[in-house]
Amino acid sequence: MARTRSFDEEPGVFPYSPDIDPEPSVEPDHHPEYPGDPEHPGGDHPREPRRVQGRAKGDVNSIKELGTSQVPEVKSNIHSLTIVGQIEGHLVLPPQNKTTKYEHIIPQLVAIEQSNEIEGLLVILNTVGGDVEAGLAIAEMLTSLSKPTVSIVLGGGHSIGVPIAVAADYSFIADTASMTIHPIRLNGLVIGVPQTYEYLDKMQDRVVNFVINHSHISAERFRELMFRTGELARDIGTVLIGKEAVEKGLIDGVGGVSQAVAKLKQLIEQRKNNEEVPLQ
Amino acid sequence: MILWTPMQLELVLEGLEEMVSPRCSQVVHQGVPMLVEKTGDGRSRVARLLSTDPGDYLKPELSPGSYL
Repeated sequence: MARTRSFDEEPGVFPYSPDIDPEPSVEPDHHPEYPGDPEHPGGDHPREPRRVQGRAKGDVNSIKELGTSQVPEVKSNIHSLTIVGQIEGHLVLPPQNKTTKYEHIIPQLVAIEQSNEIEGLLVILNTVGGDVEAGLAIAEMLTSLSKPTVSIVLGGGHSIGVPIAVAADYSFIADTASMTIHPIRLNGLVIGVPQTYEYLDKMQDRVVNFVINHSHISAERFRELMFRTGELARDIGTVLIGKEAVEKGLIDGVGGVSQAVAKLKQLIEQRKNNEEVPLQ
Repeated sequence: MILWTPMQLELVLEGLEEMVSPRCSQVVHQGVPMLVEKTGDGRSRVARLLSTDPGDYLKPELSPGSYL
């Protein structure tokens, strides 16, 4: 460990250069105050080059973890949050599931709200649904952020992914992405509660109310999509693909990453302009 | 809890009965309290952060599943 410390005292300089004589009796070939000046002894020829070892900080780590030697550090004013796989709630799912852990997402959203550097949030969704409570918790957190949020549904935003997608200030869906809208009671797993019709109906109302309050779809229209027969093989409900979700009023626009980032930048600008209005 | 997903429940919940809960211990790493689980090779993996500082949750090296 002591050897490593001696390296760090002069970063980038190899201390054991054979070109430098360690003997103090040897006179320096440069005047210490006028290096390279012909008026002073030893200044008539350029200084001997020293062997310098290039060494970037954290190099070995970045090779090991990322396979590259130089990782450019660019601080972005937007953060992107990806919600993939199953949204894991109070029950830890078996390891073959890719999960989004809500107990980690929620404090991240708090940090994003509080941070001065972060000005906007991009939410990228490719989820197959999951726990209703955890999904609604994330959706409520997103909608209560004071900073601009834009969501984009890439592969799919099914079931509980729907309220998360509409929770953002502006939502996009990729042309080929799909959203499954189906009732909770027919294809749901309920653990430890009396599985009564009224209970499931109440749980479903929470989701329906959230969606109609944060998108342009009406409750009647959303329930009609939810209970449509003949579209899904194992269930009743609807699959909306790309622009269908926009036509139904659920999602605001069809687009990809460039449109989503452009929209987010526009919302950030709007927010800045609103703040700059002087107080009378 | 209610699982609401278009995926087949047999697929999602396969192996639920055989799952053993990992033995977690509470440690403080770089001043951040967290739950870690020991893996077979003797390393510790972050299971969950217990910190109350929201900034800790944005650190990529402390995200759940990363090794300490």
